[in-house]
Order: sequence, then structure tokens, then C-alpha cells
Amino acid sequence: MIDFIIERYNFWIYIILMMIGLYAMITKRNLVKKVIGMNIFQTAIILFYISLASKRGGTLPILEHAHGEENLTVDVSNYINPLPHVLMLTAIVVMVATLGVALAILILIYRKYGTLEEDEILKKMQ
Amino acid sequence: MTDQAPIIIIIIPLMFALITPLLGWIRKNLCYPWVLLSITISALSSFIILRTVLLRGVIHYRLGNWDPPWGIEYVIDHLNALMLVIITVISLIVAVYSKKSIQREIPDKIVYFYTIFLLQVTGYLGIVISGDLFNIYVFLEIASLAGYSLIAIGDERAPYASFRYVVMGTIGASFYLLSVGYIYSVTGSLNIADVARLLPDLYNSNVILTALVFMFAGIGIKMAVFPMHAWAPNAYTHAPSAVSALMAPLMTKVAAYLMIRVSFTVFKPEFIIDVISLNSFISWIGAVGVLVGSIFAIAQNNLKKMLSYSVVAQIGYIALGIGLANNYGLTGAVLHIVNEAFTKGCLFLVAGGIVYRLGGCNINDFKNLFRKMPFTMTAFTIGAFSLIGIPPTCGFFSKLYLILGSIEADQWIFVGVLLFSSILNVIYFFRVIQVAAFEKQMPDHSREGPYEAVVIDEVPLTMLIPIQVTALGILLCGIFSTEIISAVIKHVIPVSF
Amino acid sequence: MKIVNLILVLCIGGFLIYGTLDMPGWGDPDSPASKHVSPRYIQKTIEETATPNMVTSILADYRGYDTMGETTVIFTAGMACILLLHGSIRKNRND
Repeated sequence: MIDFIIERYNFWIYIILMMIGLYAMITKRNLVKKVIGMNIFQTAIILFYISLASKRGGTLPILEHAHGEENLTVDVSNYINPLPHVLMLTAIVVMVATLGVALAILILIYRKYGTLEEDEILKKMQ
Repeated sequence: MTDQAPIIIIIIPLMFALITPLLGWIRKNLCYPWVLLSITISALSSFIILRTVLLRGVIHYRLGNWDPPWGIEYVIDHLNALMLVIITVISLIVAVYSKKSIQREIPDKIVYFYTIFLLQVTGYLGIVISGDLFNIYVFLEIASLAGYSLIAIGDERAPYASFRYVVMGTIGASFYLLSVGYIYSVTGSLNIADVARLLPDLYNSNVILTALVFMFAGIGIKMAVFPMHAWAPNAYTHAPSAVSALMAPLMTKVAAYLMIRVSFTVFKPEFIIDVISLNSFISWIGAVGVLVGSIFAIAQNNLKKMLSYSVVAQIGYIALGIGLANNYGLTGAVLHIVNEAFTKGCLFLVAGGIVYRLGGCNINDFKNLFRKMPFTMTAFTIGAFSLIGIPPTCGFFSKLYLILGSIEADQWIFVGVLLFSSILNVIYFFRVIQVAAFEKQMPDHSREGPYEAVVIDEVPLTMLIPIQVTALGILLCGIFSTEIISAVIKHVIPVSF
Repeated sequence: MKIVNLILVLCIGGFLIYGTLDMPGWGDPDSPASKHVSPRYIQKTIEETATPNMVTSILADYRGYDTMGETTVIFTAGMACILLLHGSIRKNRND
């Protein structure tokens, strides 16, 4: 039982983080807070992927002194899985790009309505 | 050259998009022919691909020549090839159309508009052509980011509509990414063919069930399926006309393609139907979406908003067809994707033309429009007939197949929904046609003479020709629908149906 | 409304946690993710790409197409910001 929890509690923490972000995205009335919630959500997904990569007893996926050695044998279990790291490098970039576009749209909204509170914007739209 | 067609179709719009800002720096006028050139090349290669697929079967194109599960590959079967042709053709038509419309609506942003336009087309093509789950996510984000910014440059309310789309779209994309992570954790692979090979052993696990549900939820948000459609009507209404004519037919259809791909290629149909019977849930959602979308469409006075709710309703048809999961239902769904791309393209182009001439889109201002703009309104009527389902337009055939599918699945309620929604479509389109054709402008007594001469005041030729081409496309798709089904769509249906 | 949202979020979170219950545990060296595709990247990185850093070799070689998409995302975001903010600054100055 304890083993079962220890093996999975990190996933659960990331899911709780995701849900904090999601709750902020759909509940908060301030648009900047929505954007921050969006960032928490995406960051939690990145953490989730990174934790998939880990291996007990594995080290960073970089070979030391590998150049020029003939018949190099590498033990797979010594290195953690590099693929999720690569995927997340891409996902981080996507996250930053989304953040940038969202903030640019917020600037437009602020110029038009003079506020970033959703209630006030909806009132001014009437 | 034809061997390299799969990469040309992506790389040409992408590279041309990189050069567009430089070209616009030299001369603004060069951007328009430049965009047309790139999408034309892309369209030609998509036709080459379709021909190759029809002659020789599925194309596998390895990027960087790495073997599939390790590297990324394009897998192009009949469904992809058909989607590629639709995307390139519709975006070429919209690109031709955009010239005058953009000059009127956003004159100082032409260069950047065309850059993002090309990037968005690249995003759509990249989603459809790819055979790798994570790669689809990357291109989904390219298409979405381009879409957010294109919507935000519309009218007064556009930035807020766009921001709501950003929030919903990011939730959708994040759910998709999360479910790819779940699938990766139990299969260790990202390649669609490889995942499909590994998954059947894992069908009883919680992980796969969760992954499937969240993938459907994420795609459903992008597709604007009924309970998750809230972003779509405002976004498409307030966007510039050319943008809503590009996004409304394509973004939702690309997401619908993804849903078909996930249901019937990544997961086996047996899993969706027998193990968790998610399909009946999808078709119920689709049916409710059809009714809700149509009823909301009736309540609208703004033509663009009415069409946007109609998009929600039509997506409901496609979801219904996918959920029926039998031969006729899926045939109807795929045919409806083809049909909808042309129909919604045509109707949104017409709406853009009306905005161009009248400066607004309120249906009550449409009096005498049939005499002022006879060609445009004829195209509008053809599009409306297609949505209602009057032969020989394509809408009739796709609805026929959907109804046959419902009968085969013994779901008589869906037959009722499909027929009833046709009546609802008649109501909201007839209102427009009635105002535009039969309601006379009140005679102006201050002037001499009882009749006011109505001058024909058509939209410019660069807008009129694309409108007529889409209207022609609707008719051709209808007349040749049996050929399309027997040549292409027949091969899309999984063997077990 | 807040209560409805909270319940919705709790349902989503509960479903996600339900999904992790039979996921391979954290750091399991025998999980499918570390057995199926990734061994080739670790073992053959020197032989096939001559790069000791496996993350680099995947990023720039095995899955280089993804990285092209990544740079395109950046370009899209940059162009999107210019598209959104271009012109409006000048207009404000004239006011």
C-alpha cells in the first residue's frame, strides 16, 4: 500500500496543480489571473511528462568521454529516458508562445475597455 | 518530384510565410500574389498526393529517414489525402477572396495578416498529414495561435471573443497533450501506427480509458461540439470576414478529422463500440448539438452569428455520424466534412461580401439584396439549399447517408432529429431569403415616380469569383457524390463495419 | 457558479487520478516508456548521430521535424504579437 502511494504521489501532486490552474482559468474574473491559471496548468503537464522520464538509478542522458571509443556499450538502465525531455522542450516553447499571444490580446482588451475585470468588460459591452 | 510532394505541401507555405514580412517590407502589394503562389503550389501537390494514394495506396514519408517509431513519419491514406485537398482548395479560394475584404477591414496590417494566414494553413496541413501524436499537438498549436491572433484583429468585440477562445483552446490542447502523455506512459511510443499496434493488449487499463476520454474532450473543444461550443459563435462573428471564411470551414473540420482518426485508427473501432461504448454518447451529444445550434441560429439577427451557430449544428451532424459507427454513418460524416467545408466557406464568403457592400450583417437591412447583388445571393441560396438538404446539392446526400446510418443502427430518434433540423434550417434561411428577395423597400414618397430603380451593385470580381467557385463546388460535390464515395470514402471505412 | 466549477474541476481531477492508478510507478526501470522506443536513443546516439547528449540528438536529429514546428510556433507568436499591437501604438500617440 505504502509502495503504491509512494510510486504515484508525484502524479497526484501534478494533477492537483493542474486542477488549481484549471479552476483559476474557469472561475477567476480577472483576465490576467486566467492567464496565470493557464500557465500553472501547462507547467503541471510539463512536470507530469518529466516525471515519466525518470528511472531509479538512472543519471542524466549525457554520455561521458564517449567520443572516439570503439565498441561503446551503453547500459540502458543507467540513463533516464531522454524522449519526454525533448517533448517538453517543445511544449515549453508552445507555452511561452501562447502566453505571449494571450498577453498581447489582453493589451488590446485593456486599450478598448480600460479594465481587465471580466464583469466590467461585459458591462461596457452592453 | 512527386516522391517529395508530401513535404512540399507543408514546407512551401511555411517558407513562403517566413519570407512574406521581408517582401512586405519592400512592397506591400507583393504579398497577395506571393500567398496565392504558395497555396497554389501546395494545392497542386495535394492533388498529386491524392492521385498517388488512389493509384498506389497509403504513402509513408519518413522525415530525416529515421524508422517510424523513432523518427516522425507522414502517413497519408485516403482520408488524409481528401482532407489535404479540401484544406488547400478552400484556403486558396479564401486567399483569392481576401484581397479586397482585407483592404477594407484591416488596411494597415496586410503584410502580417498574410504571414499569419499562411502559417495557419501550414498548421492545418501539418495536423492532417502527420502520423505522430506529439507532432499533431505542435501543429495544432501553430494553427491555434494563428487563429487567436487573426480573430483578435476583427471588430470592436473581437479581442474579448478571441481571449475566450484562447482560454478554451488552451484547455483543449492541454487535455490533448495530457492524454498523449498517458498513452506514452503505457505504450512508450508516439507514432500512431505503433500505438495502434500496442494498444489492444491494454484495453482494460484505466490509463487508456482516461487518455481516450481526455483526448475526445480536448478535440471536442477544438471542434466546438455542443457543450463545449461556447467560444465558437462569438469568435467567428467578430473575426474579419476572410478569417471567419477560413476558420469556420476548416478549423472545426480538421478537429473532426482528428476525432475520426483517434476513434478508428489510434483506437480500434471495437474498443470504442464494445469495450466502453463511447460512440453512443458521442452521437447523443451530436444530436443535442444539432438541435441547440439550429435553435440558437433561428434567434439571431446577425447573419454571421447565425452562420456561426449553424457551424455548431453542422458539427453535431458530423459527431452524430462518427458516433453511429457503421458504414453509412461514417460515410455520411466524411461526406458531410467535404460538403460542410464548401457550404460554410460559400456562406461565410457571401456574408463577407454583404459586409463589404452594406457595412453590416443585420438581416433586417437585406431588403432588395437579390436585385442589388443577384450573383452573390444566388450563391447564398445554393449554400442554404445545401444546408437544408435539397438535391442536387451535396447536403442532401450526406444527410441521406446519415439517416440511412441511423436507420441501420435502429436509432429512430436520430432520424427524427435529422429531419427536424432540416425544418429548422429552412426556417432560418428562409427568413434571410424572404427579406432579401420579397420584402420591398418602403416606397420613398419624397421622390418622383412610384418605383425606385435598383442598381446592380455587385461585390468586386476578386470576391465574386471565389463565391461562385464555392457554390459550384457544392453542386459538383452533390452531383459526383457517388464517385467521391466509391473512389475515396469507401477506403476510409474500417474493415469491421 | 463557483461551486459548480469547483465540482467540475474535482471530477476532472478525480478522473485523472483514477487514470494513474495502474500507470507504471515513478522511476520504474521496466516501464514501457523506458523499454520500447527510448533504448535506441540511449544506445545508438554516438553511433548514429555522433552526439553524446541524447536530448540534443533527439531534438535536432531523430525528431528534428518537431523542432522545426517549435521554431515555427515562436515565429507565429512573434508575428501574432506584431499583428495585434502594430499600429495601435501609433494611434494612441496621435490621440
